[in-house]
This record gives sequence, structure tokens and C-alpha cells, in this order.
Amino acid sequence: MSGENQGAHAPVEENIRGPSVIPFGPQHPVLPEPLHFDLILQDEKIVGAVPQIGYIHRGLELLVEKRDFTDYVHVAERICGICSFMHGMGYCEAVEGVLGVEIPDRAKWLRTFWCELERVHSHLLWLGLAADAFGFESLFNAAWRTRELVLDVAEETSGGRVIFGSAIVGGVSRDPSKETLERCMKALKSVRGDVARLSHVMLEDPTVQHRLVGVGTLSKERAYELGAVGPMLRASGYDYDARKRGYAAYGEVEFKSVVETAGDSMARAAVRIREIEQSFAILDQVVAKIPEGPVSIPIKGMPPVGECFARLEQPRGEVVYYVRSNGTRNLERFRVRTPTFANIPAMVEAMRGASLADVPTITLTIDPCISCTER
Amino acid sequence: MSDKEVQEIIEIEPSKLLSEVDQLRSAAWRLVQILCIGQQGGAELSYSFGTDGERGLRMRSLRFTVSEGTNVPSITALYPAAFLYENEIRDLFGVAIERIAGDWMGKVYDVAKDTPFKKVTVSPMSSEGGIK
Repeated sequence: MSGENQGAHAPVEENIRGPSVIPFGPQHPVLPEPLHFDLILQDEKIVGAVPQIGYIHRGLELLVEKRDFTDYVHVAERICGICSFMHGMGYCEAVEGVLGVEIPDRAKWLRTFWCELERVHSHLLWLGLAADAFGFESLFNAAWRTRELVLDVAEETSGGRVIFGSAIVGGVSRDPSKETLERCMKALKSVRGDVARLSHVMLEDPTVQHRLVGVGTLSKERAYELGAVGPMLRASGYDYDARKRGYAAYGEVEFKSVVETAGDSMARAAVRIREIEQSFAILDQVVAKIPEGPVSIPIKGMPPVGECFARLEQPRGEVVYYVRSNGTRNLERFRVRTPTFANIPAMVEAMRGASLADVPTITLTIDPCISCTER
Repeated sequence: MSDKEVQEIIEIEPSKLLSEVDQLRSAAWRLVQILCIGQQGGAELSYSFGTDGERGLRMRSLRFTVSEGTNVPSITALYPAAFLYENEIRDLFGVAIERIAGDWMGKVYDVAKDTPFKKVTVSPMSSEGGIK
């Protein structure tokens, strides 16, 4: 027999291609920060992903040995430009745990105010980036335009738009008046209207649903096993929110964790959008209940030998701070376990079984913050 | 600190790490973080696990000290998500962790200096120090 028809009669195994590896990142249009995946594909389907971080690790934790413990809060705030206030506050909470001091009630309520303001602007930033990832640029523009108004309120109350600079060891450094807070809440009314309209588009638009529903699904069991946190965990049906610890004034604020059950990209989007609305409700409570009084206590002398863990709920999930003091003004160790770091294994799991075209969407619905991760 | 949360630190023998972690896994505790602190001639490791819901908000840290060059077993067979923490600890602190499922062979952090967090100045914490 001649060899002209050998291709048609070749063994089946020879016609099946093995897996291919596609690099994704560290430079990619949907990634504002460097993150890399080696995506292992069988045809168009992802069968595995190997993550890679560490491109811009800054060693900020090590700086704690060279800075006065009260000054280091400025470094801690600069771990990230989105959840900066919470980084500063988390550091302060851990140091205050070592010192054994209780900050004034008004400071606790103000910290809660700025935490929720930060959650709103972070989720709006995410909404814009996620929309941009699947090509909905008008939604991206609308979300970021709305976010600007939130930043205006942050500036009016704290003095900073991105780095608030208002968290200090022993309380807060700014004391906006009740009139200022009420004026800000009035200004945020238009933001609430905008968020309602944007939410409707994000959650109801059929083209958005086509890109998000059933994409990047993570089961409740796997999310828990893989140590997922924040919206990533709650979108899979697990009810855990570190604010339930009752830090700052959260013990006196009424709120319920936002939980979805589908575990897909749309569920993660829904959790964040509902959390924006929840944050506004918490802000209302803060302005209504905030007591008068001092906003800080003086911190003098050396911190005692000791250590403390503090856990907070950032927009991306639970963050863990640890400080250890040796009795001098320079701490021995400061450690941050950021939510994105904890969510990377779950992100890899969510990609399995998805198509290559869905990788940007899945990555963005996890809302990775590489700046935090590369602290 | 919060009154609603119980935090505890339990000092263990390094050889008991896997059995202790296995017990926590069987009881469905979640891996919260792994902390490493460089010490003169070694390192101190704290493996933190959490629970919540009906069992209450708790965080338990298993702590032990290892001398330089001593191998620490990986817990990735029990908690696969530990691979990132373990790679990080090996890259930054130089702690030898063996049999990591997902071993990046020192490529997690592209740092100019090897094991930059490895310390020689820190004294071990007394067991009475505890967590505040």
C-alpha cells in the first residue's frame, strides 16, 4: 500500500495533541500589576495553572526594625494604595494589643467610617477593572467616575484621597465634625444612586451574565479547604467575615455577612456589589451613633516585650497582622498575611475547567492586589 | 483585640507538627497563615488555624523552633494551600522545608540577596510571653 493516505489511517493517539503551556502575565492588558501564570491547556480548556509572584517584592516588613514603632504606620499604609487605611489601622491594632491600650470610642467609630469608605472605593475600582476585563468600557468609566466622589469624601474627612494618613497608634489623627460627616453622607447620596444603576447593569445585563455566570466556579468545600477569604469565600456560600470579631466599632454596628452560593464569577461580583450597599448602611449607622470625645490617647515610652495578632476584613478579605516587640522602640517583627496571598490557591482552582478566554475575567473577579502581596 | 475571638499559641515539638496539623484538619480548621521569625541559628515557625461559626471565632497557632539546617516537613499533603507560605519561608528565611507539593525551587521571590529575612539578632520569646 502506498503511503499517500497514511494520515487518515494513523493511530488515534497520534491525532490527539498533548497539553500546551501558555504564559499569562506578568505584563498583560488586564493586569495592572505583575502576576504570572503558566496556563496548562488541553485544547482551549485549562487543566492546570502554575502561579508566579515575587516580581516586585519590597521587603516592607523588614523596615519595621529600622523605624520607630509609632512612625512605621506610615510605611504600613503604603503597602497598598487601595486598602491603605486598613493596613495602617491593622498595624495600629496589633501594636495597641502589645501595648495593652484601649483607644477612645470616637476613634473606633472613625476607624469604622474610613474602613467602610475604603471598601466602597475599592469595590468601585474593582467594578471598573472587571468591566474593562470583558470589554465593557462604558461601565468601567462610569464606575471610576463614581469612585471619584467617594475619594472626595475621603479627602474631606481624612485629608487624603488614597493614603488617608489618619490612623495612628493610639487612635486617629483627624476629627471631622458631625456636620462634616453629615455633609459627606449627603454628598454620597448621588453615589448610592449611581451604584444602584451600575449594579443593575453588572448583575442583570445579559452580555455580562454571558461572561460571568458559571465561569470560574469554586465549591464551598474547596474554597474553605484552600483557605480562601473575603468575597472569594463568601461567594461560594461560606459565611465568614472578620468584621464579626468586633474590632473598631463593628461590635456595635448591625450588619450581616453578604453571602452568595453559586461560587462563580457572577457570585463574586454580586457579593462585592451588595457589600457596597452594605457599607453605605454601616456608614449611616456610624454617622448616627458616633459619640463625642477625644480621638486619640498619648503613647509614651517603650512598648513592652510581647506579641499580638490582629485580623481585619479588607475589601479583598481577611488580613492578618502580627507584631512582636522586644521592649525597644524598634519592633522585631511585623508580618502581614494579605488576602490576595491567601486567595491564590483558590484562584488556581477556579481556573481549572475554564476556557482560555475566561482567564482575564476569572482573575479580575478575584480582585487580586499584587501590591499587597508583594509587601 | 476583640472579646469575641479566642487566640491561643501552643508550643509543640517539631516532630509532632504533622500529627497536630492532621488533627486540626480532621476537625475542619482552616489554615490562616504560617509565620516565620528568624532567630540566631534557626527560626521560629507558627502555623495558625482558624474556626468560626457555631464553634466560635478562634485562632490557634502551633509554634516551634528549628535550628539552622534542620528539615521541616511540608504540610501541603494536609493543606495544599500551604505551598505558598512554605515556598516564601524557604526563599526569605532559608528554612529547609521538604516535600512541598508545588515546590517552586526558590523562584517565588526574585530578590537580589539570598534569604534576606534570615536573622541573627532575635532572641526566642519566653513561653510566658504568650499572646496579648
